[in-house]
Amino acid sequence: MSSTLVFSAMFFSLLLLLLSGMPLAFVLISLAVLFTILLWGLDALVLTVLQTYDVMTSDVLLAIPLYVLMASILQRSGIIEALYKAMELWFRRLPGGLAVGTIAICTVMAAMTGIVGAAVAAMGILALPSMLRRGYDEKMALGVICAGGTLGILIPPSIITIVYAATAQISVGKMFAAGIVPGMVLSGLYVSYVVIRTMLKPSLAPAPDNIEVGWLEMFGSLKSLFLPTLIVFSVLGSIYAGIATPTEAAAVGVVGAMLSAMLQGQFTTANLSDAAMDTLRVTTMIMWITIGAKIFVSIFTGTGGADSLLMFIENLELNRWLVLLSMMGILVLLGLFLDEIGIILLCVPVFMPIIAAFGFDPVWFGVLFLITAQMAYITPPFGYTLFYIKGVLPPGIGMETVYRAILPFLVLQILALILFMLFPDLVTWLPNQLSQRLVS
Amino acid sequence: MQILNGYCQTITQVNRWLAIAASSLVFIMVAVISYEVVARYFFDAPTIWALELSTLLLGPYFLLAGPYFLHTAGHVNVDILYSKLSPRIAAIADTGIYAVIVLISCILIYQSIPIAQNSIDSGETSFSSWNPVIWPVKTLIPVAFSLLLLQSIAELLTAIQRIGGREEARA
Repeated sequence: MSSTLVFSAMFFSLLLLLLSGMPLAFVLISLAVLFTILLWGLDALVLTVLQTYDVMTSDVLLAIPLYVLMASILQRSGIIEALYKAMELWFRRLPGGLAVGTIAICTVMAAMTGIVGAAVAAMGILALPSMLRRGYDEKMALGVICAGGTLGILIPPSIITIVYAATAQISVGKMFAAGIVPGMVLSGLYVSYVVIRTMLKPSLAPAPDNIEVGWLEMFGSLKSLFLPTLIVFSVLGSIYAGIATPTEAAAVGVVGAMLSAMLQGQFTTANLSDAAMDTLRVTTMIMWITIGAKIFVSIFTGTGGADSLLMFIENLELNRWLVLLSMMGILVLLGLFLDEIGIILLCVPVFMPIIAAFGFDPVWFGVLFLITAQMAYITPPFGYTLFYIKGVLPPGIGMETVYRAILPFLVLQILALILFMLFPDLVTWLPNQLSQRLVS
Repeated sequence: MQILNGYCQTITQVNRWLAIAASSLVFIMVAVISYEVVARYFFDAPTIWALELSTLLLGPYFLLAGPYFLHTAGHVNVDILYSKLSPRIAAIADTGIYAVIVLISCILIYQSIPIAQNSIDSGETSFSSWNPVIWPVKTLIPVAFSLLLLQSIAELLTAIQRIGGREEARA
């Protein structure tokens, strides 16, 4: 069979089987088994076992359960509630203060944990009722929570970033560093948008609160910042000071998270076993998809599919930017209905040779991809954050309001994407500065 | 019918226990890796086994939990169409889905047993500087897929019962 035919057959059977509601991991494994038998016969099936073993013993992917555990323990530690109280005190005088503060907390949480659901769920419970009660525009309130929650994809540590780095075979530490500046730029864009909108249209947010709060209370509340800061700096610091690999830093982070939970009096057996079960569920899901995707992709590359695709594109003699835009387009399109982890595992091995042939930096491309992933997370009707927010919506607010709420933030994300496409240095400067110091 | 339901409940229970046991492995990984960081950075005494040991635990950790999360629908899927199906049609779709999973479990068990057998017979080691035996990890592949087979049979049976409209049969 020609590789073009194999490619189309694999792609369409993937879409078809996915629509049946079968879990992605098993869709990939089944199709991989089917195509292996069709193309190479029964004997080649040994490949499936070898790939499974490969995934089982990956020391890069080992970082995933560790970072998820760190996030799950922190989520139950009471730190986020304490942070939120401090934020309410400090941001109350600013136009749109609580909305700005929510973005600030989302940014801090993004740096502490790598999971989108954690920030959206926590802010949906804490920030949403508090903003609505004070008369914030509901679209403004929902928008900052959804968009802020996705910052965790870009700001290290991030699970999706680890999967990307592992698949593209680049350094996780370098990829983490690449997300810092773009993450801050996005967070800054959201904040400026909120401040400018509320200054232009003061009805969107209540008049600044004039209740006098003593300085002692103001500064007292800041001690809630101490533990998160310590964790963020010990995790990222130990990576960039060259003390630990990203996997090792994750274990250090788990110990830090446990200490924080202890100090907050939340280090209970119930919390710990809940966190362990959450971690297992997330990790199991990701790793089984990884097994399926690795077998699936190895068939595609094994039949020469990746090579002939590259040759096809090179023969078109397109402008390299057009090639880049088409790849981004495919990612955005797939993001509408496929899981982000699945997209990385399926597309990145196919895209990497193309990226190399056209002289793009895989680290920079990774950041562009992570921004499209953020867009996919808030795009209706299948964005992940939308499902999290649905669970905490107060009565009287429908999903249509949420859809309209995220629109301006989607535009901001597209602006950021264009900005980083035009100025790659914004992305690559920091990782290049830090890369000499990483423990490999 | 009673025997079938009993089978479904038993296998789900066994897989639930295995998942709970597996969930505790992550704490061992944390302890082992933290020990390595402290030993290397503060005492200048790196180990040769810490990273490899925790990597070897990763396989058991997620493979043994896979079957249980099949029961709890913990594996991510696309439900654009599926969520709109009537309970009866959804049960028919489930029957097809679990039948496929039963089939691929069988194929993977059949493929992985000879590899595990070989590894046990030769006492295969990893050839790293620590050089531990790795046949337990390789043997785990057929074991995990056997558990997946048993669980998917259980899910298949409940799905078939649901086609007949026995909603309460789902354990």
